[in-house]
Amino acid sequence: MATFGAISLLVALILAAYNLVVGGFALFAIERKWQLGIPPARLADTARRAGITTFFGVSAAMFAIYWLIFKDDFSVYYVLQHSNRALGFWYKLASLWAGQEGSLMLWAWLLAFYGFILRITHKADVKLHAYAGVILAAVQVFFLILITFVSHPFLPTPGIEPGQVIADGNGLNPLLQYWEMVIHPPMLYLGYVGFTIPFAFALGALMMRYPGEKWIKITRVWTLVTWIFLTVGIFLGMHWAYAVLGWGGYWGWDPVENASVMPWLAATAFFHSVMIQEKRGMLKSWNVWLIFTTFILSIIGTLLTRGGLVSSVHAFAQSAIGYWFAVFLGIVLLTCIVTYFLQHNHLRTDHHFESMVSRESSFLFNNLILLAASITILIGTLYPVISEAVVKQKVTLAGPYYKIVELPIGLALLFLTGVGPLLAWRSTSLKSIRRNFIAPLIAYWVTAIALIIWGMRPLNDLSDCFAWVDFSLAAAVIVAIISEFYRGANVIHKQSGKDIFSSAYELTARNTRRYGGYIAHLGIVLVFIGFAGTAFNKNIEQELNVGDKLELAPYTLVVTGATQDSNDNYDSEFVLLDVMKDGKKVFDITPEKRLYRASGEPQTMPSIHSTALWDLYVVFEGVNPDTGQPIIKAFLNPLVSWVWIGFLVVILGTGLALIPSRKPQAAAVRSAQ
Amino acid sequence: MIDQTGLILGIVLAVVFLAYIFWPENVFAAQRQKTRLEYLEERREQLYENLRDLNFEFKAGKYPDEDFAAQRAQLEEEAARLLAEIDILRNRA
Repeated sequence: MATFGAISLLVALILAAYNLVVGGFALFAIERKWQLGIPPARLADTARRAGITTFFGVSAAMFAIYWLIFKDDFSVYYVLQHSNRALGFWYKLASLWAGQEGSLMLWAWLLAFYGFILRITHKADVKLHAYAGVILAAVQVFFLILITFVSHPFLPTPGIEPGQVIADGNGLNPLLQYWEMVIHPPMLYLGYVGFTIPFAFALGALMMRYPGEKWIKITRVWTLVTWIFLTVGIFLGMHWAYAVLGWGGYWGWDPVENASVMPWLAATAFFHSVMIQEKRGMLKSWNVWLIFTTFILSIIGTLLTRGGLVSSVHAFAQSAIGYWFAVFLGIVLLTCIVTYFLQHNHLRTDHHFESMVSRESSFLFNNLILLAASITILIGTLYPVISEAVVKQKVTLAGPYYKIVELPIGLALLFLTGVGPLLAWRSTSLKSIRRNFIAPLIAYWVTAIALIIWGMRPLNDLSDCFAWVDFSLAAAVIVAIISEFYRGANVIHKQSGKDIFSSAYELTARNTRRYGGYIAHLGIVLVFIGFAGTAFNKNIEQELNVGDKLELAPYTLVVTGATQDSNDNYDSEFVLLDVMKDGKKVFDITPEKRLYRASGEPQTMPSIHSTALWDLYVVFEGVNPDTGQPIIKAFLNPLVSWVWIGFLVVILGTGLALIPSRKPQAAAVRSAQ
Repeated sequence: MIDQTGLILGIVLAVVFLAYIFWPENVFAAQRQKTRLEYLEERREQLYENLRDLNFEFKAGKYPDEDFAAQRAQLEEEAARLLAEIDILRNRA
């Protein structure tokens, strides 16, 4: 089966190369109107078909690697390194992305899958799809070269004779043995890889001097779907870090985390600013560079983490492929610059900004802030490399740098989330500002004053100050969003006589893009409320014997005992704690420590009790070898569940924005007249 | 270690792919450059949508009368220019 997998990969590489070379030649021949023995359009179609079959080639290789994993064929080195016999179905599935070779294979397969969809939907615009297909094939060739010749997943285990049976594999990294790790990496990859499609369309549209903005409409679904996948991936990654790593937080500014959030920020900027291009035909060059940047940041992220340039707590698969990614990055960058230089006159616009106080300007500021966030994160991530090159000393920028830099950026974004929809296109008059901003302003100041009365002291501490502004802004933005829904629903209510909730539903159905977007904004506000909660985190660490107490207001934790469990994969030790409030037991909590049999590696599994106000997060850190007593660390983390709910609302809103709007017939007819 | 079954399966796969790619057929989608007229028609649809949005937001009470009138006039002027060019191109065609 390893031979079949290796041949399938090689066949897929040849087919992708055919798509690139012959497809590229056919496009050139069509542009030059060359008469060939075979019509260039027919040649281009064979290239498209080669692109389609690439997907089946990589799928055959995927089938082969999974066959080997599920058959426990440890004669293949990758299977030996990342799987073992006792591993359950889902974790065997996850072992594909536990290592470098498997991760790249998943990347190549997802890319081929996206390419398959792109190539079978070519009739939407045959020429544009042909250009995009060739550019995509170039990216596919790079990844397939990498997994065929550099990081091959089907290599045999060294020193194994034919027919020799190996007792067991080394097993899956314990950190990955959590249900979210079955979903998180594929989601993240679907996001990263998916940005190749809008990139291919943007570069293709620029190369062929595509007239108009329809390419944006074609790629909009791709961009949004990809963005949703990346958002889900980031969300699951945060939740996994919180539930498994045992340090009490969900975001540590680790390079791998940063690598995922940089393209996310750039893509967020892109799908906001394309609205200006669609509506007003402006910012064409800006948008093209935003999507180039998003794709380039995806590659930079991979280069940074997989290439071993910067170290990460969860870059599971580092190797020397960094050089390959650096070369690829160089080629991509050069292609983008040369194409833009040759074709930039095609991106001229007839419209210009008319006022700094307009919806266009708010989108532009939003873009600049998102890009500033992306660049400052990139600087923070790259700082160890830069400092080593300049002062010969590796300096890592940790939490305080990001706190100082990213918190004001985040608050500025939150501010624009509320302001943007309230402004008019082209220019907003003072009268209009007064009319639309009064309710959010009242909400802001009522919340700000209420928080001070409640006990917050924003001038005493920087964290408190940020949290105070955050909560107040969040209230203002929520009021702004609700007022948008209310005013729109009221128009329908007056026209149709439906109640206000049915009218709000009708409103959303008529313009899913806008109102789905507002729901996504609401989710972002909830996430920001959750983020502000970190200003009030508390934790305590203590050695506890049976009957001992640990105070973490409003709770008292009492150790009632310990227990053990085991299965084929690992042995567990639990500490049993009663959680008391006001002298009464309210629930119990059982933090766990595991020892995995195949790898011999330990793993803590925190026990978390969530409420809308806070999480009680308890970690069993192990036993003190001197005293024999368990060490318990407990955290009280306010508003964490708001972050998770916020993410779900963001995903829901963005998903809603993907559904086509229902157009009222009467309105369409009225406008056409 | 090359296993023969894997090798044969791989070759079969490659042959099937080649047959699909080069299967002789005369029907394939031709490539065509979008015309200026098509572009203008797309732009017209967008302008109509912008007008619809503006009307709706005005009805929702977001803009004072004078702002609405000014914005509507700008959009209508742009639409008029566009429709005139569409007419010219259609007549030429």
